[in-house]
Amino acid sequence: MSKTFEPPLAPPPELRFRRQIRLGASIRDLWQARELVRTLVERDFRAHYKKTVLGFAWAIVPPVTFMIVFSLFFRRVANVNTEGVPYSLFTYVGLLPWTFFSGSVSRGGLSLLANAGLLNKVYFPREIFPIAGMISAGIDTLIALPVLGILFLFTGFAPKPTAVFIPLLLLIQVLFTLGVTLAASAVVVYFRDLRHALPLILQFGIFATPVAYSLDAIPASLRALYGALNPLAPVIDGYRQAVLLGRVPAWDTLIPGAVASCAVMLAAYVLFKHLETGFADVA
Amino acid sequence: MSRKGTVSAVRIWKRFAVDHRRRLLRDQIGGLSRGLRGGGDRDWRWALRDVTLRVEPGEAVGIVGANGSGKSTFLKILTQVMYPYAGRVEVHGRVAALIELRAGIHPDLSGRENVYLYGSLVGMRRAEVVRQFDDIVEFSELSEAIDRQVKFYSSGMQMRLAFSVAAILQPDVLLVDEVLAVGDAAFQQKCLDRMQTLLSQGTTLVFVSHDLAAVEAISSRGMWLQNGAVEVIGPVRDVLGAYRHRIEELASSSGQASGIVRLKETSIKAPDGAEIRTQDPLEVRFVVENPDPRSVRLYLGVSEGPATPIFVVRRDMHLGTGESKVQCTIRSLPLPRGRYYLWAGIFDVKGRELLPWHPAAEFDARGPDLDSPPRGVVRLAPVHVDATWRLGAE
Repeated sequence: MSKTFEPPLAPPPELRFRRQIRLGASIRDLWQARELVRTLVERDFRAHYKKTVLGFAWAIVPPVTFMIVFSLFFRRVANVNTEGVPYSLFTYVGLLPWTFFSGSVSRGGLSLLANAGLLNKVYFPREIFPIAGMISAGIDTLIALPVLGILFLFTGFAPKPTAVFIPLLLLIQVLFTLGVTLAASAVVVYFRDLRHALPLILQFGIFATPVAYSLDAIPASLRALYGALNPLAPVIDGYRQAVLLGRVPAWDTLIPGAVASCAVMLAAYVLFKHLETGFADVA
Repeated sequence: MSRKGTVSAVRIWKRFAVDHRRRLLRDQIGGLSRGLRGGGDRDWRWALRDVTLRVEPGEAVGIVGANGSGKSTFLKILTQVMYPYAGRVEVHGRVAALIELRAGIHPDLSGRENVYLYGSLVGMRRAEVVRQFDDIVEFSELSEAIDRQVKFYSSGMQMRLAFSVAAILQPDVLLVDEVLAVGDAAFQQKCLDRMQTLLSQGTTLVFVSHDLAAVEAISSRGMWLQNGAVEVIGPVRDVLGAYRHRIEELASSSGQASGIVRLKETSIKAPDGAEIRTQDPLEVRFVVENPDPRSVRLYLGVSEGPATPIFVVRRDMHLGTGESKVQCTIRSLPLPRGRYYLWAGIFDVKGRELLPWHPAAEFDARGPDLDSPPRGVVRLAPVHVDATWRLGAE
């Protein structure tokens, strides 16, 4: 038996715990936790739609509602130039990336708080919560995707061969969405105010993004800046150009958007990793 | 590279902000300006101070201590849920932690779905869970309830589910924090048996509990945390002995037992004046001060520290006004070597308290050590004691 002496008042500085960010190790951790991501997504999904009458069909409701509202009202007052594309199709193509973004940020953003019970008791890479939130939002978007097909059939409009640009646009879109989701989820833990502000910001965001209107509404000289500030704008515009109009995406706005997306993702990841050490203390 | 199951926590420090509201935005802004002016000190409270613990594979360590002494925080740092302020933690191998009941259990999902969720939380592949699913359900004895939503489970059932998954998957390190207490007696014993099996298969166990008998049954080493610092670390019996002693000291210092009747001049010794020895007679003498004549029931008990006695002797008697001498002789002391406490309490015939049950004196017994039971078997001390009594007026 050994009785220790009263410890000093504070730890010697050389013992201080230092946070190290190692990208390789983090990615390996994440890969090992992929089963957990799958289980979490499943759990989210089941819990989300359990005991609802419509079930998974609820995923279709938000974009379709917005499409109807925009078609009935917004178009009348704003006089949007769709370059001959039926307005419902035009706005739905914008609504899909937007609902993915807003679903991801609102679900993933609150995921750490919602799972505080787990966060406090079991170890696994913390990123998986916002990532699982984003994946659930992605599945919602996939469920809403067939409506686009129906719209194509209905309007007699066909997708153009330039649709091959979709993967590139999708990559930029996912990077930006994931970055914002990660950052929001980490910051919400410390600033609970954001929890209340988030829905408001997202509601406002749909009008700050060319979902109901066209990117042409922005003066040409400001478009590059706009694309950098809101990478969703050139992405949505890119989808419209590539899928509906048969044109190559407008690089002068897409490239600033792509650079900004990468920067957001990187900054969000570093922020997340730094705030991560305190999650269990605060949540 | 250390072997799987090694736990090493070296000089761990952890602190918490005293006031959590300071984390809100307005306080952050205030704190920021204070920080810019150079005096950004917040009030911190140390939850762990310089705690070092190394556990080898297959070893079991029990952690005891008062509420708020840092036991759970220490376990959370071992699971890497929390990050230490200073120090180094290394845990090798697959870790399963049972910290609080609902860890990893989602109330809206069924028991079956939760088994998969919990399995992936502790790092099991889905195929592994599928293979062992039947074993898990069988161990938990929840086969009828497995498709019911967990929110309709009792707390004991939730614990069964969580423990079964953690126990069947054979982790390298198992951390258990005071969750077994909600299980019924039979399942608690089953859990202890299972932990024993895991230990013999090389699983490392760190066990936090207020059930000192269970800690003693399962652990070989003990660590007593007091205000976040290690008070005693060593063989489990020594640690628990020291801990029980402290509980006793606290019990006797917190409130002098006061009642209508008072106890004076308590003495415990062997009748021949020699040291108190196992199997030898023990003589307890004291004086009772009583304001009015009444019939009372006097209880004496001996404990290892906490208020739960190893044995109790009782005597109904009539007390006159003033002081009465009471002597109780235990013919053969059924206690092994150690430090013990004499508890006393006096009640009237209707059970009303005249003198509360309180520790009245302590004594050391000499003699052989108690034979310890096999590991994993909880030792209680049900003993029958013959006693003779003699009463007389002062």
